[in-house]
Amino acid sequence: MSNRTPDRRTDATSSRREHSRSSGPSRWSHCRKRGVDGSMRTDEHEHTEGRHSSFTTPESSGPVSRCAAASDWGSQVEDDEMRRDLHRDLQRYRRRILAVDAPHRERKASSGSSGSCDSKEEDSLETDEGVLLRRQKQINYGKNTLAYDRYIREVPKHLRQSGVHPKTPNKFRKYSRRSWDQQIKLWRVKLHAWDPPTDNGTQEDNEEQLDFGDIMDIELDFPTLTEPAPQAARTGVMEDPEGSGTPVKVQRMDTAAASDIA
Amino acid sequence: MSQIDGTETHPAVMENSTDEYRIQSFDPDTQMLLKTALKDPSSVDLEKVSNIIMDQSLKDHVFSKEAGRICYTIVQAEAKQSDGNVFRRNLLNRLQREFKDREDMRARSIHEWVCYVTFICNVFDYLKVNNMPMVALVHPVYDCMLRLAQPDALKNEEEVDCLVLQLHRIGEQLEKANSQRMDELFFLLRDGFLLQEGLTSMARLLLLEILEFRAGGWMLSSTANKYYYSEISE
Repeated sequence: MSNRTPDRRTDATSSRREHSRSSGPSRWSHCRKRGVDGSMRTDEHEHTEGRHSSFTTPESSGPVSRCAAASDWGSQVEDDEMRRDLHRDLQRYRRRILAVDAPHRERKASSGSSGSCDSKEEDSLETDEGVLLRRQKQINYGKNTLAYDRYIREVPKHLRQSGVHPKTPNKFRKYSRRSWDQQIKLWRVKLHAWDPPTDNGTQEDNEEQLDFGDIMDIELDFPTLTEPAPQAARTGVMEDPEGSGTPVKVQRMDTAAASDIA
Repeated sequence: MSQIDGTETHPAVMENSTDEYRIQSFDPDTQMLLKTALKDPSSVDLEKVSNIIMDQSLKDHVFSKEAGRICYTIVQAEAKQSDGNVFRRNLLNRLQREFKDREDMRARSIHEWVCYVTFICNVFDYLKVNNMPMVALVHPVYDCMLRLAQPDALKNEEEVDCLVLQLHRIGEQLEKANSQRMDELFFLLRDGFLLQEGLTSMARLLLLEILEFRAGGWMLSSTANKYYYSEISE
């Protein structure tokens, strides 16, 4: 996990997508709730390359690559919509955290210092649009699964226990890139517990998770499960939400073959 | 705008949607498909539906004038039902493909070209994102308008008619999105009105009216309205 390739360009991303797409629709569509743009077909746009919503923006050249890739109107409108939704969500979130610390606000206003709680929250507020967009796309990717669908139907919010039930990472908090990606990864892994069973009884893993694109170095070939013991394997994984034990987790996951995330 | 709720399945409402969305021109099977798309989008092939709507819009001018509406409803229905965007994405990308080939289209058939412009403007009008027009369509729509304001197009009453109709419907929104290009367009329209030879008197009338319309802040003064739109009884 710590050895991410420095090359997180679109070519690497798209070549990975090309490969995984060649696996055919059946393996994908099983746990993938829906394709993107009837995604597995060949794309008529030579330059869009079946642009996935999972396209993540390399940090260094955010706007440039995004514009270059999103030349089809469908994607442009989606990105635009995502941006607007993000801004709206950001305002809402801001209001929420201010409301929580309302009693302290007066003091802050008069003193002009940033010693009270709400400014602390404000300081740790992520507002960079590029970052928020990327995070939102990663979240969308996880929510666009049958597992997530089943999870939210099965476990209503008030019954969710922290640590046991997956919780969507908070995109508005400041985290390092690595920390964030790790949270996403763990969240996705936890969600796997709600994957629908396949016809032949084994729980095939979602190779589409590999489309984390530039944030994961993942081998596309990994052993298929013969007998699933995903629950057991995952409980082990869930014990360490902080992400400090990465190498150990990797090992455990590899042996259990319960997750496709290396 | 029809609501996507339980009343959708009521026979009277089903019938209403035929009228509401002007889908009488389709054969019964296609009508059924469209109605299903409105109620239960994830159960149909949305790419196919978007192509059906697009194809018909290119043929049927009456349909193209309001086809944006049915598109809007399907988009909303899909978003609500499955948080999906398949229909919108397919529609937009199809629009884009046609846009790329618009010169050929126009050379082939003015009627089809006019239908296309009507449709894309209608989509612009109806398909909003968070109540804002889709930014991605602003320049393409302007490109179409500017094409219609070219000398060879002004000679065709059909194209002038399309131009002014669209400006009436979405001019104000377009200007808000990009006023510079609207200025650019109106330079062309003034020139056309003043200098263009071979304009029919109807075309000149339409151009004069749209010039006054915009100058009046996208509405006509009551006197101008009287001039253009009331019957003069002698």
